[in-house]
Amino acid sequence: MMAETGYGEITTPQTLADAVAAMAGGAVPIAGATWLLRAPLRHEVLPERLMSLRGLADLQVLTIGPRQALLGAMLTHDALAGALVGHPDLAGLATAAGASANPGIRRTATLGGNIGTRGFAASDLVPALLAADATVILATGQGLQSLPLAQHLAGRGDAGLIVRVEVARSPRRAAHARLPMRKAGDYPCAIVSVSADLSSGRIKDIRIAVGAVEATARRWTSLEERLTGTTLDPALAEAAARQLTGDFSARDAVDAPGWYRLSVLPVLLRRAFTQLEV
Amino acid sequence: MPIELTLNGEAITLDIDPRTPLLDVLRDRHGLTGAKAVCREGFCGACTVHIDGQAVPSCLRPIGLLQGCSIVTVEGLAPPGTLNRVQQAFIDHDVVQCGMCFPGMVMTLTDFLDREPTPTRDQIKAALVGNICRCTGYERIIDAVLSLQAEGVA
Amino acid sequence: MNRPTDPRTVVMNLPRRDALDKVTGRTRYTSDLGAGVLHAAILRSTVASARILRMDFSPALAMKGVRAIAQASDAPGLFGIGIADHPLLNGSRIRFKGEPLAAIAADTLEIARAAAAAVIVETEPLPAVMTMADALSPDAPIIHPDWKSYELLREGGIRGGNVAWEARVSRGDTDAAFARPDIIIIEDCFQVGRQNQLPFEPRCAVASYEDGRYHIHTSTQVPWTVRAVTAKALGVSPSRVRVTVPAVGGGFGLKFDCTIEPIAAVLAQKTGRTVSLVHSREEENLTCLCRENAEVRIRSAVTAEGEIAGREATVLMDCGAYGGEQVFLTTMTAHTLGGNYKLGSVRLNSRAVYTNTPPNGAFRACNGVYNTFFLERHTDNIARAIGMHPLELRRRAVLGDGDIGATGQVFLGDVLRPMLDRMAAFRDRTPDQRDRADGRLYGRATTVGTWFIFVGPSSATVNLNADGSATLVTSGVEIGSGTMVQALPQIVAATLGLSPDEVIVKAADTDAAGRDLGVGGGRATVSIGAASKMAAERVRDQILNIAAEMLQAQPEDLILTKGRVEIADRPGTGMAITSAIARAEALHGPVSGNGNFTAPGVAALPGCAAGHFIEAIDIPVFAVHDCEVAVDPDTGHVEVLSYKVVQDVGLALNPRAVHSQIQGGVVQGLGYALHEKISIGPDGALEQPGFEQYLVPLAGDVVPVEIDLYEGAPSIGPLGTKGAGEVPILNVGATVACAVSRAIGRDVSELPLTPPTVLALIQGRTDRMDHPHIAAEWTENLLGAEVPPRSPAKSRPTH
Ligand SMILES: Cc1cc2nc3c(=O)[nH]c(=O)nc-3n(C[C@H](O)[C@H](O)[C@H](O)COP(=O)(O)OP(=O)(O)OC[C@H]3O[C@@H](n4cnc5c(N)ncnc54)[C@H](O)[C@@H]3O)c2cc1C
Ligand code: FES
Ligand code: FES
Repeated sequence: MMAETGYGEITTPQTLADAVAAMAGGAVPIAGATWLLRAPLRHEVLPERLMSLRGLADLQVLTIGPRQALLGAMLTHDALAGALVGHPDLAGLATAAGASANPGIRRTATLGGNIGTRGFAASDLVPALLAADATVILATGQGLQSLPLAQHLAGRGDAGLIVRVEVARSPRRAAHARLPMRKAGDYPCAIVSVSADLSSGRIKDIRIAVGAVEATARRWTSLEERLTGTTLDPALAEAAARQLTGDFSARDAVDAPGWYRLSVLPVLLRRAFTQLEV
Repeated sequence: MPIELTLNGEAITLDIDPRTPLLDVLRDRHGLTGAKAVCREGFCGACTVHIDGQAVPSCLRPIGLLQGCSIVTVEGLAPPGTLNRVQQAFIDHDVVQCGMCFPGMVMTLTDFLDREPTPTRDQIKAALVGNICRCTGYERIIDAVLSLQAEGVA
Repeated sequence: MNRPTDPRTVVMNLPRRDALDKVTGRTRYTSDLGAGVLHAAILRSTVASARILRMDFSPALAMKGVRAIAQASDAPGLFGIGIADHPLLNGSRIRFKGEPLAAIAADTLEIARAAAAAVIVETEPLPAVMTMADALSPDAPIIHPDWKSYELLREGGIRGGNVAWEARVSRGDTDAAFARPDIIIIEDCFQVGRQNQLPFEPRCAVASYEDGRYHIHTSTQVPWTVRAVTAKALGVSPSRVRVTVPAVGGGFGLKFDCTIEPIAAVLAQKTGRTVSLVHSREEENLTCLCRENAEVRIRSAVTAEGEIAGREATVLMDCGAYGGEQVFLTTMTAHTLGGNYKLGSVRLNSRAVYTNTPPNGAFRACNGVYNTFFLERHTDNIARAIGMHPLELRRRAVLGDGDIGATGQVFLGDVLRPMLDRMAAFRDRTPDQRDRADGRLYGRATTVGTWFIFVGPSSATVNLNADGSATLVTSGVEIGSGTMVQALPQIVAATLGLSPDEVIVKAADTDAAGRDLGVGGGRATVSIGAASKMAAERVRDQILNIAAEMLQAQPEDLILTKGRVEIADRPGTGMAITSAIARAEALHGPVSGNGNFTAPGVAALPGCAAGHFIEAIDIPVFAVHDCEVAVDPDTGHVEVLSYKVVQDVGLALNPRAVHSQIQGGVVQGLGYALHEKISIGPDGALEQPGFEQYLVPLAGDVVPVEIDLYEGAPSIGPLGTKGAGEVPILNVGATVACAVSRAIGRDVSELPLTPPTVLALIQGRTDRMDHPHIAAEWTENLLGAEVPPRSPAKSRPTH
């Protein structure tokens, strides 16, 4: 069911250098293909020249060390969800990976693809990674480049090949609350991902990221400031959030009107906080 | 570059546009019409097959990414003339209606039961988030799967 | 010979003979027949309203692999239901975005699509109306300026301008009722959106042209309608069209559509090849003949005791760009919105309104579903206004034996009241699920509903084969409901003393079986069942007469059982049925029998109904539903905690299969009530092209439906059966809406209740619903009563 009638190609580079060179020559990376293959449904043309990332061992890395977690771009959502179990600081990411889409897609769609998809507002992993303050490692013509995720999303730095994501580890807790229209299975209309240091009994160094509300996920810094130093109280946090939803200009889209996304944001924050309590 | 893979246990070689979805290869080139093209966007599960032992939708898998993979479709699930236990349970419980979703249901639930031999009702429902049925209202599908445990077959 | 078939020999949980192939993926649907054929693609309009100035096909024809083009001139006839207003391929005036303009057959689907995209279409925009409110405004552009010249396929419709059809009911003096001093007047407005049937197999057809005749394999519910419409659109004799139907991958009413088949037929004739035309999911969704969006204003005059002295309502049904099913369905308002309850007097006006949006169609229980929602929410508001418990009001007001319906039809038997009692007992013996609401808002409601079995012509032939098996030939289609693989073989087998697997059931082929209205409207078991039973009885009688001679017995003393003819009460004394068949063949030739059936017709009060296709319903079917919900006050998500159904089934031939239909129908209803939203964009196109946007219930969203089958209500169906497959969806929207309304303490006036809609209600963001374009004064909504439109020359029929 291809929209065009040309004969495409998918190459499979075996080294990062080859891959970077191929990209420079116009090849488009294809990972799980769950986004790319839907191009005809979006009335877009599927690129003729694609580059499979299956041959690149660097993109398969999965290390959850005491100081740092290294998550390769080719990890599927399923693999991520399985590997992150039992690490409170990575629990938000684990939930994001394990609750998104559906089982078949989670076995196919990758971390790199989720970050690399342009124009997709409802990505689950992105807000979870923003809350985790993740760094993206890109392979570029100048070698490996590391860039905070927020900057990568803003289109800064070279648009290179995502090799892996790095998350610094510390004794903190994280949670991810998403709201689809059904119990599960559809894109979330709003997402709140939280990560905070609660070791002192007070909220320290909190990061709150909001997804699906605006075109691109971002941190909710005013709320982070407001909640810093308070105790973990889901109801109070919700009330504080309700005062600050004006920070977002929410999308009106077919799945939900903007006012609805804003209205549920504080609720999702409360739910995320409730998850942190456990 | 020709793509070599195993389809229902048989080695095959394909020299076609590598972007072609596996689903179309199965249906149009191999006459394997058990996998259905219903949504072509990963939501309905009617096209589900096993790729290297994992149940995934075939509509979003370009054939060019499947070099060396082993693919099993509903036609290759059980030896000819036999049924696997999920299929048998569906017949025994009179679950089927129009039938379009069932090849996908069988593939998903067969894989699921291999990983999770004694699931709860809620776990089965969670496993079916990507398998839609427009006719049956699901519950009897779940009953059929649960019956496999009750019988101690699982 | 008049010997009744004992229902006990028919009733069983017969498994489906098609299940094995279906779970192993071997079933071949129409959409699986595409190998080695030409593929067709449809060129569709990209705007909602325009005049076509020029179409240039040369760029498409120049493409390699393009084999033929079908265009308006190939199918000049107009078709429709009630009114012939619909061209197959439009070459002059576009009336909705996505309208088929031409079709192209090519070696591959890719080439066909590319060729369709290459056709040059020059248009001049025309003004468009996307909503019924706009279509009814006095200076609205008229979508069918030639409406008066259209062929009328049915007399009696009141028509004019953008009103395709108006059906009216008037019984008794509502003015007097509303003027009574002892009544309270309750008035409400409600509305619903569209619902997509979303059968898993899209509309598709594979056509060939053989020996001067068209042969169409298609995924349809109505093979004989396809035959007729194809002939009409192509301007050929219906006898030149043959329609065969393999397994159908779901229908739900959508596959009453006949717009695919004639196109495939034209292309097959032009190319001399077999042509496959299969809708893509996007085409399928964006041109889906949905359950229509609708609006109502309803008001009732009710006494403190709950007597409904008068009721008036005006319903607007959006038929989209062409009249289609909605023209017919205006009829059903009388029997649904005007149903359930005893009404002292009543006036109803049901209007099918043209808009520049995709046409709508039939969907399981059709407008009954939303009319029941309107009526039951209104009934709850009445109960609140007069301070009576809603169940008590229903118990008092429902129709009973000898009561008359809106059109004056006399209802037989007390059915709804005992069904309400059955539901009360059902509720009492099952613990409520209030605990599971767990801090959310809890609500519960019980509603009643009336639907009907759409009877009408069916025919059947039974051939008794020399080996003792029987072949049943009908125009029935297996769409998933099980009639062809369960109910029909059960009926024939019981009549002939065979086991059901000895009854071969031939799939529909219009060259082999007689005319039939099709499968849908719950009619298959009743109409085709009755014809099949008659055919089998005629075969049985021949065999018994022959056997009586051979056994020197009276035919009345013989029975057919287990493949043998036996003398009643003396098992083992008779002979194998094959011996009797052999004798019959030797004497007269092979044994066969024909049966037929049609609607017997039930009387309405003369003069009550105008513009109706059916003034009274032959087989009413009733349903009582009960549901518990929990509503999240923070997000508006509704969870269904429990769902109970008491359904009037007459006689359940296959109780297990009936349960399966009820579970499936209720879940489709839950989709309608909660998830399945279709919105129409400013360009008049539907905004839900795929499964990403159009949300149907998933396994996690549903509950096991608790079911109590109510048997024994009067029915003219064979053995007292009624169709059981259509009605389960009837009151789901109503029941969920009433339960949610009670949970949140707000008036619920629209469906679906998506989380944003519910949260808006909870937060008070929603104004009380009003439809300014439906006048409060009932008579002002009648054609002929409104302010004359711009062109005063247009004469309008008065009533
Ligand atoms: C049924 C369904 C449900 C879904 N539900 C959800 C959901 O709930 N939440 C959610 O977040 N998402 C959801 N998605 C979206 C899906 O998860 C994303 O599309 C997916 O993460 C993309 O990953 P992929 O590996 O399939 O990407 P691909 O389709 O292979 O690629 C996507 C894009 O990323 C680029 N890309 C891929 N890998 C790299 C790399 N290493 N470096 C640079 N660029 C790269 C590609 O060039 C392409 O532009 C759903 C998708 C489907 C089909
Ligand atoms: S067709 Fe592949 S998931 Fe629907
Ligand atoms: S049986 Fe028809 S879609 Fe499941």
